[in-house]
Amino acid sequence: MKLSIKNLKAEVEGKEILKGLDLEVGPGEVHAVMGPNGSGKSTLAHVLAGRAGYTVTAGEVTMDGEDLLGLEPEQRAALGVFLAFQYPVELPGVNNTHFLKEALNAQRRARGERELDSVAFLKLIREKLAMVSMQPELLKRPVNAGFSGGEKKRNEILQMALLEPMLAILDETDSGLDIDALKTVSDGVNALRSPDRSVILVTHYQRLLDYIEPDFVHVLADGRIVRSGDKSLAKELEKKGYGWLTGKDEAA
Amino acid sequence: MNTAEQTGTDLISVLHQGQRLLTPLPAALDWLIPLRERGAQGVAAMRLPGRKDEAWRYTSLAFLEQAEYRPLIEGPFDALQLDDVDEMLLNGHEGDRLVFVNGYLAPALSALGGASGGVVVSALAGGLGEVPASLRARLGEIAEQQHPFSALNTALMSDGALIHVPRGVASEKPIEILHVSVGTEQTGICHPRHLIVLEEDARAEIIERYCSLGDAVYFNNVSIEVSLGAGSELVHSRSQEESQNAQHLSDLQVRLGERSRYRLVLASLGGAWSRSDVRVTFEGEGAEAELDGLMLARDKQLNDVHLDIRHEVPHCSSRETFKGILDGKGRVVFDGRILVAQDAQKTDAQLSNDNLMLSRSAEVDTKPQLEIFADDVKCSHGTTVGELDGDMLFYLRSRGIPQVQATQMLCQGFAQEVLDRLPSEALRARTGKVLAERLNQTAA
Repeated sequence: MKLSIKNLKAEVEGKEILKGLDLEVGPGEVHAVMGPNGSGKSTLAHVLAGRAGYTVTAGEVTMDGEDLLGLEPEQRAALGVFLAFQYPVELPGVNNTHFLKEALNAQRRARGERELDSVAFLKLIREKLAMVSMQPELLKRPVNAGFSGGEKKRNEILQMALLEPMLAILDETDSGLDIDALKTVSDGVNALRSPDRSVILVTHYQRLLDYIEPDFVHVLADGRIVRSGDKSLAKELEKKGYGWLTGKDEAA
Repeated sequence: MNTAEQTGTDLISVLHQGQRLLTPLPAALDWLIPLRERGAQGVAAMRLPGRKDEAWRYTSLAFLEQAEYRPLIEGPFDALQLDDVDEMLLNGHEGDRLVFVNGYLAPALSALGGASGGVVVSALAGGLGEVPASLRARLGEIAEQQHPFSALNTALMSDGALIHVPRGVASEKPIEILHVSVGTEQTGICHPRHLIVLEEDARAEIIERYCSLGDAVYFNNVSIEVSLGAGSELVHSRSQEESQNAQHLSDLQVRLGERSRYRLVLASLGGAWSRSDVRVTFEGEGAEAELDGLMLARDKQLNDVHLDIRHEVPHCSSRETFKGILDGKGRVVFDGRILVAQDAQKTDAQLSNDNLMLSRSAEVDTKPQLEIFADDVKCSHGTTVGELDGDMLFYLRSRGIPQVQATQMLCQGFAQEVLDRLPSEALRARTGKVLAERLNQTAA
């Protein structure tokens, strides 16, 4: 999978957040997008997933040559885009197993693949569950409803493991996680890595990158990528703070 | 003279038509005559309610003017086979089942004889034998005399379920009352009348259902009386999934003795016009009532629930949780009145009504009313009207679930809290399926 973002400009409620962003993500690559609060990291993640409320005013985003911005969120998902939410939404009354099965089968239908029956699905989900060390009871509950912060994040990674996206975008999935959960999240991402799948890690901190080794690190500031490098850039950022690149003081 | 009278349908004309055309009562039901007479007097003394009557302000009866409602008479559907209603039956239901077709018991479709311990599962007419004198005395005891349609029901009642659970007896398996309505050439009206009596410390589960064969057009005017003795417990599920052309009115009156428990789950999904009046009166201390309800109002559908919860005595609790789903030009009317009398100290009453609007053309008229005359009580009420949550919708869509399906899943989720209260797994599955089908039709 090859993602190409060119001169992307986007605004929220009339305020420009992304101000001409360029990013190329090649097959099998892991890119970390770092930056201070308000730099546009989450906006980038949501624009890629197709959330309403963001207006793209310029630029283009293609995935293997296909225009991503013209597609509905569900069409992007079927193409293999997956967003792990920073704040996963609670869905009262919607059973988690039912949700996971419907999501997988909707994507399979859209791709012209055969749907999984209940037996095949349960077998598959049990495998994935073990992978993310999630309590099986959480499958019987409504999606994310009453889940702890860590359980919600594990549920995101479970969905990612199940849906096997071509492009996984993790929006600050590491925030608020204890070390065990962080390890689970990282294991999930590392298990997904393959020569054709790509990952974008949106994060504020370097900590996650100790567990998931990125091929590239980008620093986003004021809606643009201001510096790109390899993983050593993250280390340097940790030492010097974002002010080093943005010219502003920021308490990290 | 108002226009309803000119075109032939007001309550008096329905009453007179009924009196003229209904099959005469058999001698065994002579004891019903004075009761019917009382109902007829009630009807004569009342006019058809209109917009100026608070309880009918948002619920128009204009449809009565559109057709002449003739009484549905016994007989023409004797030929109905079990196969014809097979699709409506609950999977795995093992208890007694009374099946009524157009308001009359269909013995061939019913399954009786499973009840033990002196439990009576019978019908008013229908040849199931004499109604015990003890039950006769209870019929009409608590029906609302001020309700015009309930009075009409009393005046014309011909058949219905009679259930009696003796003192200390727990009726083990759920008892089902299934109504099947079949269209006739003329617009019909029928008046099913049920009586449920649990004596002291008795227990029972009753499932009451209303279904239609095809797109039948008719008016179902139901009246139910429930009397719970001290320490008794009734779990009562009601599902109304009638045809989209039907009118359904049910007047449910419940009287709670001390320490009794009443649990009602109402799923009101069908009908062009549906109205449920529920009055629960606490007559003995320490009783509890839990009422859950789901109202579906698709395009051009009206779904009205009027609750009247009367805390007359101390130390009772009630919880009412009702949800509405609306689409197109659907309308939900919810009126939740809780009365706490001066003596009813330590009352705990919580009422809520949440509505989900799938369309901007839909309309909700919701009115919770607390009337509290005691000073040491815990009461609350809350209502909400909202659209589908955009964040929830995006979450589902971002996982590949198309918008139409995502909408249905969220509606189903919204309803699930109520459906989960249904004690019968088969009914839960059935109701969930009917809801999904009807939401599907909405989306299509």
